[in-house]
Amino acid sequence: MPASSESITLTGDLHARPAGAFAVAAGRFASAVSVTAGAKTADAKSVLGVMGLGATTGQRVTVTADGPDAADAVAALIAILGEATRVGG
Amino acid sequence: MPQVAPQVGIVLVSHSSQLAEGVAELAAQVSGGTVTIVAAGGMDDGGLGTSATKVTAALERAESGAGVVVLPDLGSAVLTVRALLAELPDAAVTIADAPFVEGAVAATVTAAAGADLTAVAKAAEEAWHARKL
Repeated sequence: MPASSESITLTGDLHARPAGAFAVAAGRFASAVSVTAGAKTADAKSVLGVMGLGATTGQRVTVTADGPDAADAVAALIAILGEATRVGG
Repeated sequence: MPQVAPQVGIVLVSHSSQLAEGVAELAAQVSGGTVTIVAAGGMDDGGLGTSATKVTAALERAESGAGVVVLPDLGSAVLTVRALLAELPDAAVTIADAPFVEGAVAATVTAAAGADLTAVAKAAEEAWHARKL
C-alpha cells in the first residue's frame, strides 16, 4: 500500500474545534492516518487523540497516511491544519 | 458539505436537562454541526431525573436511517435506557458505555465522518482510554 507523509508548522493551537474538523475529515478516508506532534502520535480519526496531542502554535506536526487514498488524505489534512488552526476555537 | 448518506444519530440522556443540552452544544460545535444530536435530560416537569417519555421521543428524532447511539450519564439514566431498549429489540440503537462528555464528542465526530453504528459506539467507548495530558 502506498504511504504518504507531510509536515506543517502550526499557526495556531490545535483547539477542540480544529481538532474536530481534522478528525471528521480524516474519518472520511479509507487509509489509516496518524498525526504526530513532538513525542506524541495519535490516530487522526480520533478527535480525543488529536486533542490529546496538545499541539500548539509554532509546533511542527506530521500527518502520515497508509492506504489507497493516502496522498489525498495527507493533502486534505495538511490543508485543514493550515486553515483551522488560524481560526482557533 | 451536503450529506448524501444518512448519519448515525446521537442521544444524550442525563439527569439534568442543562447538562444534556450543554454537551449536545459542545459536541455539535466540535463535529461541525452535521450530526443529529438530541438531548434528553431531566424529568418531564424539568426537574432532575430521567424521563422514559423524553428518551423515547429523542430516539425517534435521532433516527435517520443509520441507527442511533445513546449515551446515558449515570445511574438511573442507564437503567431507564436499558429498560426502554429491552422493549425495542429490533431498534438499531446501541448504548455506549462511555464517559459522557468525551464519549459524546468522540461519537459525534465519528458519526460526522460517516462511520456506521458499530464504529460510532466504539469511538465513544474508546474515550475511556484517551488521556488529556
